[in-house]
Amino acid sequence: MQRYDYLRSIAGDAQDALVVCTGWSAREWWALRPSDGNLKTRTLGLVSSIAAGLALALPHRKVIAIDGDGAFLMNLCGLPTIASQNPGNLIHLLFDNEIYEASGGTATVSPTADAVALAKGAGYRHASWVKTREAFRAAFTRAWKRNELTLIAVKIAPGQPDDLPPLRLDEIENKYRFMRYLEATEQRAIVNPGFDSKL
Amino acid sequence: MTTTAPKQRAARIVAGLKKAGIDFVATLPDEKMLEVIRTVERDPGLKHVPLCREEEGIGICAGAYLAGKKTALIMQNAGFLNSCNALTTTSLQFQIPALLLIYYAGDIGDRGFTTLGSVTEPVLKALGIRSTLLRRIDECDEILRDAQILADDSKRPVAVLLTKSALGVK
Repeated sequence: MQRYDYLRSIAGDAQDALVVCTGWSAREWWALRPSDGNLKTRTLGLVSSIAAGLALALPHRKVIAIDGDGAFLMNLCGLPTIASQNPGNLIHLLFDNEIYEASGGTATVSPTADAVALAKGAGYRHASWVKTREAFRAAFTRAWKRNELTLIAVKIAPGQPDDLPPLRLDEIENKYRFMRYLEATEQRAIVNPGFDSKL
Repeated sequence: MTTTAPKQRAARIVAGLKKAGIDFVATLPDEKMLEVIRTVERDPGLKHVPLCREEEGIGICAGAYLAGKKTALIMQNAGFLNSCNALTTTSLQFQIPALLLIYYAGDIGDRGFTTLGSVTEPVLKALGIRSTLLRRIDECDEILRDAQILADDSKRPVAVLLTKSALGVK
């Protein structure tokens, strides 16, 4: 089972959640839930921290981080910070394929590092491994309803569908579309509020 | 200099941040900025996020900015160096502003960390991050306000290097 199969099982449940992606998951998620509420990150590791910043700033919105094992392992310092802030509206998904898939496919050390134990040790109240699409979707729905910080981790096979549409968005357009989407859905000014005083 | 000087100066710096519009602050301490961070911590008008490593703070602040927060990171220059990749591939790549309040360890006259001091401004410059020095506490409001205006308008991080003399510490 690949990440795409798992993502497909929750795409219909994600409603207006803000979704922060890393690596290949961006193209997959955009294909499954096209929305300006999606953000593709560029710094390996920071997907969870960026999602946490959003979750802290918008406590009434659901925020989903789509993390990978390489990124997760790079940002272990971020876990205790996120847990100490404890944003209940953040659902942290970890797709563990045991390789740096976006960087050529060499192995990560994830086979000897238990991500769920790491998250729990860092202070996440809820963290669990799931093994099937049904269990994944059920865990996602539970986390959504419970509204408490949750990591859902799953071992996956590498790879993605052959016919994934390209994502022809650069970072700047992605950022502005994301912020304008937030303005529309939050009904307040977010982009360039200081421009009020300009000609 | 009285023993309360660092506290009073910290209060002025934090008040200056708030006047500049900052409402979200991530921190990782340097001893010299102890009072500044304590003041941030106590201020109910600021969301405070204590960090484990500065680079994750760039991510947290980036997320908060996208949702409309005005963000500042308070850290030592070692932490700035720790953040260089995130500053490049998140802040600069996405054009996301942040006010970087950096304690200038190894500044002229500061004992220890001279290597850190010698690379700080060249690295800021190499990243294209504009910076200004805060040496006199009287200039605090103006410098913080102007740095935040530049960050907001240029959509880039802007650094304010905090010195011992501004902080009133030895």
